[in-house]
Amino acid sequence: MTEEKPRIGVFICHCGLNIAGVIDVKEVAEYAKTLPDVFYTKDNRYTCADPGQDEIRKAIKEHRLNRVVVAACSPRMHEPTFRKTCAEANLNPFFFEMANIREFSSWCHPSTPKEATEKAKEIVKMAVAKARLLRPLKEIEVPVTNKALVIGGGIAGINSALDLAEMGFKVYLLEKTESIGGHMAQLDKTFPTLDCSICIEGPKMVDVGRHPNIEIVSYADLVDVSGFVGNFKVKIRKNPRYIIHEDCTGCGECKEVCPIEYPNEWDMNMGVRKAISVPFEQSVPLVYTINMDHCIECYKCVDACGARQAINFDQKPEEIELEVGTIIVATGFDIYLPYDDPLYGYGKYDNVITALEFERLILAAGPTGGKVIRASDGEKPHSVAFIQCVGSRNLKKYEYCSGFCCMYALKNAILLKEKYKDDVEVYLLYMDMRTPFKGYEEFYRRARNLGITFIRGRASHILEDPETKNLVIRAEDMTLGQPIELPAEMVVLCTAAIPKSDAGDMARILNLSRGTDGFFMESHPKLKPLDTPADGIFLAGACQAPKDIPYSVSQGSGAAARAATILSKPKWKIEPIVAVVDPEKCRNTKVKCGICAERCPYGAIEAPEKQPAKVLTAMCHGCGTCVAECPADAITQNHFTDEQIFAQIEKALEENPEGKILGFLCNWCCYAGADLAGTSRFEYPPLIRPIRVMCSGRVDRDFVLDAFRRGAGMVLVGACHLPYDCHYISGNARMKTRMDALAPMLEKLGLSPQRFRVEYVSAAEGLKFAELMKEMATQMKELGLEKIKAENAKLKPILDRMLAKKEQKAQQ
Amino acid sequence: MTTPEQSSSSKFLLFLGCAIPYRVSSYEISTRKVLAKLGIELVEMPEYNCCGLPIDPVSHEMLLTLAARNLCLAEQQGLNMVALCPGCAGTLRKVNKKLKENKELKEKINGYLKDTGLEFKGTIEVKHLLQLLAEDVGIEKIKNAVKKPLTNIQVTEHSGCHVSRPIEGVGFDNPENPQILKNLIEATGARYVEYTDKIACCGAPIAGVNDRIPLQLSREKLGHVRDAGAQALITVCPFCHMMFDTNQPRIERMFNESFKIPVLHYPQLLGLAIGFSPEEMDLKGLRVDPTQIVSQVFGKAEGN
Repeated sequence: MTEEKPRIGVFICHCGLNIAGVIDVKEVAEYAKTLPDVFYTKDNRYTCADPGQDEIRKAIKEHRLNRVVVAACSPRMHEPTFRKTCAEANLNPFFFEMANIREFSSWCHPSTPKEATEKAKEIVKMAVAKARLLRPLKEIEVPVTNKALVIGGGIAGINSALDLAEMGFKVYLLEKTESIGGHMAQLDKTFPTLDCSICIEGPKMVDVGRHPNIEIVSYADLVDVSGFVGNFKVKIRKNPRYIIHEDCTGCGECKEVCPIEYPNEWDMNMGVRKAISVPFEQSVPLVYTINMDHCIECYKCVDACGARQAINFDQKPEEIELEVGTIIVATGFDIYLPYDDPLYGYGKYDNVITALEFERLILAAGPTGGKVIRASDGEKPHSVAFIQCVGSRNLKKYEYCSGFCCMYALKNAILLKEKYKDDVEVYLLYMDMRTPFKGYEEFYRRARNLGITFIRGRASHILEDPETKNLVIRAEDMTLGQPIELPAEMVVLCTAAIPKSDAGDMARILNLSRGTDGFFMESHPKLKPLDTPADGIFLAGACQAPKDIPYSVSQGSGAAARAATILSKPKWKIEPIVAVVDPEKCRNTKVKCGICAERCPYGAIEAPEKQPAKVLTAMCHGCGTCVAECPADAITQNHFTDEQIFAQIEKALEENPEGKILGFLCNWCCYAGADLAGTSRFEYPPLIRPIRVMCSGRVDRDFVLDAFRRGAGMVLVGACHLPYDCHYISGNARMKTRMDALAPMLEKLGLSPQRFRVEYVSAAEGLKFAELMKEMATQMKELGLEKIKAENAKLKPILDRMLAKKEQKAQQ
Repeated sequence: MTTPEQSSSSKFLLFLGCAIPYRVSSYEISTRKVLAKLGIELVEMPEYNCCGLPIDPVSHEMLLTLAARNLCLAEQQGLNMVALCPGCAGTLRKVNKKLKENKELKEKINGYLKDTGLEFKGTIEVKHLLQLLAEDVGIEKIKNAVKKPLTNIQVTEHSGCHVSRPIEGVGFDNPENPQILKNLIEATGARYVEYTDKIACCGAPIAGVNDRIPLQLSREKLGHVRDAGAQALITVCPFCHMMFDTNQPRIERMFNESFKIPVLHYPQLLGLAIGFSPEEMDLKGLRVDPTQIVSQVFGKAEGN
């Protein structure tokens, strides 16, 4: 490889006023010119736009640039964009480095433009330092298994599966419960058309069941997912139905003779089902299941089944393994059951129910045959009050708006009024009526025209008459400006939509992030609502955030399209940011080592006896943990080499190191959280100089030592939350062990403990990052420059000695 | 929803406040005897001043200073405080917390206190009687102290508002679903009944400005208590007690009702269960005649 001298081009972006409004962009450009090896600088209004990219391409050609630095937004935003730009100008895309001066400077330091500009200059200096040492890398190509897994058989998952199947891909549709359909199949009618829900969903469910490209795996749980985009290995456990799938005709004769009944969850426990039954008549697949918790093994069902012999009490759980190229997560939502709210009496008062229970009452196929009756006396209520926002829009419970409750409350109120007409008084207590989409406002008018009484005000307290079990609702009628006591014979609570109870498990298995609201996090809320940071895994439907049926259907189709961009290619390109072992330096040849193989979260390293360790490139996800763990410093991570990081440390601390916080931020969590702090415009003091690593596991203890040796005021290692959030499974845990050993040693050497921080910040915790920065700045001020300098002076000779050994080795 | 303070002890400074010694002395009398029996030593605070709550609408800083002075007196003795009135307890707790957490405020109030020679340091805790009984004595010890389980009677309780609100400042029991006083009542062996709208306020804070509204509120409460079949109402607050007991005849006259529901302070109830006589528990200090319920307590056991 020709060791060309670096010719670096630095492009500073105004980003309109986003950067230029705070930072003196010209000053930064002038400064960049003074840096060694920088041959060209330019400031652009919008570097990412076509003209901006053109400039870069032109400059590369005209000035024979072989390294490009763009000082603009976060690399998480536009690194791929500019890598492409370089590639188009025949420059290897990995000769590109980004300096984040928007999320990391102009957006978070608006009141201190001078300091923000200084920080921007230093960030550029660091980026240039890294750029000097960049090497060309070639993208790795992996084969793509052109099959897909859709997790969740609700309306979103169903649409994803159908679209993908129609495109010609094989789809596995994994459903945890006995039948696909999801919550939509539980509903009576759907707004705003008042279509019968199962009537419109049923045919789709049947289509799924019949499609030659779709294989439904039902009554099964996701156990494990390994691999990477295009090459996922999925372990699924099929739970025993005690029925032989292929032999069951769904005739239901077994159900007729079964003597045992138990509460039917599908009917919100208001109705019963037999020990051998299907949850509802239109189940797909139409295969019965025996609930062994209730079955008394009387074998009447076996007799009824007769010659078909479809019942098998010896059935065991079966584990299967699937190979797929992409995964779509469409696991849906749960309903908040407000047992914990003592003021509404849910669970205490017989006649206070949730909206989903109301659906099952008014549904003709429900447990009461469509009669809306009270639990206390089985009588029809003469007055029904719907209460909105139970649990939603509540700072003490769920801050978000659940999105569909206004519409379904209107729907239920309309159905009730149209069914019982003047026999029932219907009230709706709301905070706001949110009816924004097609046909929704007209639906609201329809409800009002039916004589339903709308009271604007949040119900504060529900009381029950101990004799009649009637209810009294205390609320403020905000339109009248008066407190009211509204008597009602039945109260329907429209409760919040919440993440599914096993969302945590799903997130852990698939390495998904969850937002502060508990729903799965998308890559970008505006531009990538269906992608996740894990390549090849997509989201659809309510598991991403509460939404109604049309929105879920759209997302289902959208996710299918996203998945198809991968499945339709024979090969998929993977970033070559992988680890490489230098066989000369590896000490596994001399002594029994193998530490890297043991510590790799993916088992992607082999270290056979007496042989140098070897990284299995296709399995390496690029965390860099092995690089930091290797005692012989024999492993390098492409694009995040020790050399490059040491260069960034040096440049960050070249001037006034005592007043700086050197931060190693992991790409997926802490760096993203810091980005979010900037995006949200949370202001904090401009003391941090950030170094991006893919994983906190990459942070070698020598980086920390070098930082303090160079006089850093404080050092921060920012990682994903333990134990489950690390994008690379356990990189953060390795880092913790490493730093837990390092911190006491530094403290013993005289370092004030608050100067070395290990913190856990998720991608959703922008505020936390800003608060952390403020806290560290305050602590630095309290320590005082003199104390920091004194401690540094004491530490330096010791750290010099410790690092000298490493530098000696590096020169060998 | 309790925040048990780590320090569980048996010696407390007694903060009586202004209303109890003057207007509701049976609360103090019964508490002293009962706590002594339960192994709690009460130390007098001869120089205490008003907790400051009544002056809050006029000057919040005055409240802080008045409360802080009491806290300083306790700190000098190195003992935690127990207050019988939830208003006092809540105020002292809130001020204690506020001054501990806000350095600037603490310095300001210490500035006001300078001339008295006192300085707030933030070393002690304040509890209401209910919290002391629940945490420092404990349900088990109370159950063991009961010699005469009150199984003959059924009662209910009104915990009141200040004993658990605001959650952030007071942080004891769940104001929307209070359980502590209920558990303590059941520990005496008495049967507990629920009644409608249990957590409604007695109305005392408005009394003096507008009498009809609080009396109406108390009337509704007493009505619900009566409808639930409770033979007595148990309170832990001097003002709630005054609304339901002292004012009961007035409510009956004003609204043409008949309640005849005796209102006991919790220590009086517990005292009877422990074995004290009605005289020792100063039941004659109650306005609504408790004779009937007392005779039921000491009457024949039901059943058989």
